[in-house]
Amino acid sequence: MLLGAFEDSELEPNEMQEVAFHLARCESCTGILAEYSTIGRDLRTIAVEPALNGFSRAVIARIDQLPQPVLTRIARAFRRQVDSVSSGIAWGGAVAAVAVMTIILMTPYAEQLANRGPHSTVIARVENDAAPVTPSEPTMADNDSHADISRLESENRSVAVWSEPRRDTTVIWLPDQP
Amino acid sequence: MRTPGRKDGDEAELIERSRKGDSEAFGLLVERYQRRVVGVALAVVHNQDDAIELAQETFVRAYENLSKFESRSSFSTWLYRIAANLAIDFWRREGRHVVLHGEDADIEIGKLPTTHGDAFKEVSRSELSARLKQALEELTPEHRAVILLREVEGMSYDEISDVLQCPRGTVMSRLHYARTHLRTILKDVAGS
Repeated sequence: MLLGAFEDSELEPNEMQEVAFHLARCESCTGILAEYSTIGRDLRTIAVEPALNGFSRAVIARIDQLPQPVLTRIARAFRRQVDSVSSGIAWGGAVAAVAVMTIILMTPYAEQLANRGPHSTVIARVENDAAPVTPSEPTMADNDSHADISRLESENRSVAVWSEPRRDTTVIWLPDQP
Repeated sequence: MRTPGRKDGDEAELIERSRKGDSEAFGLLVERYQRRVVGVALAVVHNQDDAIELAQETFVRAYENLSKFESRSSFSTWLYRIAANLAIDFWRREGRHVVLHGEDADIEIGKLPTTHGDAFKEVSRSELSARLKQALEELTPEHRAVILLREVEGMSYDEISDVLQCPRGTVMSRLHYARTHLRTILKDVAGS
């Protein structure tokens, strides 16, 4: 029995020494020891490495099917909730960021579009109508209750100014710079 | 006394999270020990499919009983012990062997012939391997477990004693029996 333990280095130091001395003069035991060594090597050679792909997933799947204690279920539900809220916050943040970026990027264009539309119309009217009109000669009667624009007043042909006193509104048109 | 290292700390945290029902944390423990747990089961039942099934059952049982695990002992040894118990129970249920204890085992050992020198040298490796596999099948699960845990898994006698829950002296005697038996079988191959 000591030979195997000697091979495994599992004896006390004094026993290891004793066996070593014995082996030095015993051919039989040396042969047995050599065979133990061969057996060990062969056992390691024939040992198969089991394929463990998906092993842990299978274990977790079985665990998930176990009836869980109430506290565990509550803890799990809470954790799932936290996870979903966290991911909800992340998505919400991303959407908000995109919205803010869109507003920031689109605002100048939106302003330009908002300002340009009416001006274009006005430009046409001014260019057509303003030329023969003098500031002192309004195109529409001050008393005309249906008129939106009561006066067109500007000496500069490139600038148009409308006043509508009843609505307390003045519109100043400046052409876009080339 | 063991000094807790980084792995121990990490492991303690994973165990604690697993106790609270965090199966993801337990999955990390499974990945850490799956190979050796399968190895322990394989050492006893000597069938890969059965060993994998038993190893899965080991982890499920461990998860269910985490509250009983005392952190003072080694988690890995606790796992291997569950695996060994399940595998031995499985083998006994299957009823494919005769267990020899104490004197009976010694008598069997006494019947085995002894020869001198390394007679295996002359036998072809493939023949030897085939016969070795067969010889392992002929061993009882207790004897096979001891020799495979020692030779393949590289466990110390104390670890084997802990995993199989038997005295160190029993580990030594089982190893002696298993080695002698394998030697004899292989000598027969060499002699024939």
